[in-house]
Amino acid sequence: MSAEIAYPQPYEDEDNAPFLAGWREGKLLLQQSRDGGPLFFYPRPICPYTGSTDLVWREVSGRGKIVSFSLITRPNHPSFNEEVPIILAEVALDEGASLLGRIIGAEAASIASGARLELLPPNEARRYPLPAFRLAA
Amino acid sequence: MTSNIGIAGYGRTTYEKRTTRTLFSFLAEAGRKALDSAGMNFKDVDGLAICSFELPPDNTVTAAEQLGISVSWAYLGTAGSAGPVASIINAKHAIESGQATTVLCIAGDNYDVGGHFKLMDNFSRGLRNYGTPLGFGGANGLFGIIQRKHMETYGTRREDLGRISVDQRRSAQRNEHALLRGPMTIDDYMNARVIADPICLYDCVLPCAGAEAVVVTTLDRAPAGKAVRILSGFERHNHPPMEIAPLRGGWETFAGKLYDKAGFGPRDMDFVQLYDDYPIMVAIQLEDLGFCKKGEASAFLAANSFSWDGSLPLNTGGGQLSCGQAGIAGGLLSVTEAVCQLRAEAGDRQVANARRGLVAGYGMVGYGHGLSASSIILEAVQ
Repeated sequence: MSAEIAYPQPYEDEDNAPFLAGWREGKLLLQQSRDGGPLFFYPRPICPYTGSTDLVWREVSGRGKIVSFSLITRPNHPSFNEEVPIILAEVALDEGASLLGRIIGAEAASIASGARLELLPPNEARRYPLPAFRLAA
Repeated sequence: MTSNIGIAGYGRTTYEKRTTRTLFSFLAEAGRKALDSAGMNFKDVDGLAICSFELPPDNTVTAAEQLGISVSWAYLGTAGSAGPVASIINAKHAIESGQATTVLCIAGDNYDVGGHFKLMDNFSRGLRNYGTPLGFGGANGLFGIIQRKHMETYGTRREDLGRISVDQRRSAQRNEHALLRGPMTIDDYMNARVIADPICLYDCVLPCAGAEAVVVTTLDRAPAGKAVRILSGFERHNHPPMEIAPLRGGWETFAGKLYDKAGFGPRDMDFVQLYDDYPIMVAIQLEDLGFCKKGEASAFLAANSFSWDGSLPLNTGGGQLSCGQAGIAGGLLSVTEAVCQLRAEAGDRQVANARRGLVAGYGMVGYGHGLSASSIILEAVQ
């Protein structure tokens, strides 16, 4: 763990503040048009499916599965250098939306497409600036 | 109706791994060389298109100020490295609609490996906020996800993708502009250092500095025997929406009309210049542009050869994988090489009887993949 160097942080703005505040409490919040339609990520001021700007936030379970992944030995920022390989996955959430996420605390050799994931528990999640996952028990 | 608009000249600068030169010195040099090759000078230019990640705070109009030219049409690329091919399509439309008669299209950047990471970390708000804080490894991490998905979905094999890097290197050995000219075998490719598994070193391009340029104008203005006709061209952006790692890039949305309008199909191409940021994206272009069916790229790669003298000459100057990726110039390198081949000026890497070829661009990495695809078909004027 490279405690001296902070991870790059998302830039907080009005569009993503509820999402970032949710994650600080270990919750995964996604947006949806108030009239319904698919949940979506990443945060934005308009629903990319319906065009609605009347949006609501929904807390989701954080359970899902790995669609595909890469094992990054050459990260983009020195704060990650001591944590390689970074396990970067395309995650399909059970509630329907997909996102990119890190998988924490797993051996690279134990990662496979299709593996079930869950969110890191809040006490472990705090240090990660974006939703992070672990292999489901 | 056959187009009477095409490319009258092309220019390329030397590529440098590190440089003290300014961006404008590269852009201006490429532009001047393209005009020289067209038998023209800056006074003949009344349209200007620039594609460059590093251009801000400048833009096309302040570039015109630097070059000392007054123009009636100005275009600023917005589609990453799909932009240069798109700029040629749009330059053609500008000439057809009377906005300009002669358009200088330039693409270039000057950065190195560190500069490339900095660029990717801030590439878009989506990536900056939701990719960079993950340690996503720049484009390598994202294209690792795409490549693994292609391998697991279709059985695509690394040793087949490696044919692209290896065969292009063989062509690069005959191109004095290529930064990487050492021999490469398939074993070298397979055993290379892991960067973002399954992406390894020879799947990646070398960020560098340089620029490329072409002159788009009516064919009657081109030097005798050197005109290259633009038969057709299309672009597509943000396709498919809301997919993080699609196994198609957008070319499939226009491939049919691209060939219909040109009057030729994939098998009529004497060479192809595809966007080779990664071999997996070349494989996806071969599928999307109809050289093989979706999912069959691996077998197609195994059954063909891709150097200048191969069964399907591909990126005949070595491509970005061997020449280096000078930022957005990577999206125009393909065009200058195509024009060079169609003018029969490619020396000892000349494709025999090169009459027509396809060029594709790709780029503007968003939240997971390149958002923009473009393609043109070019033909030597007999």
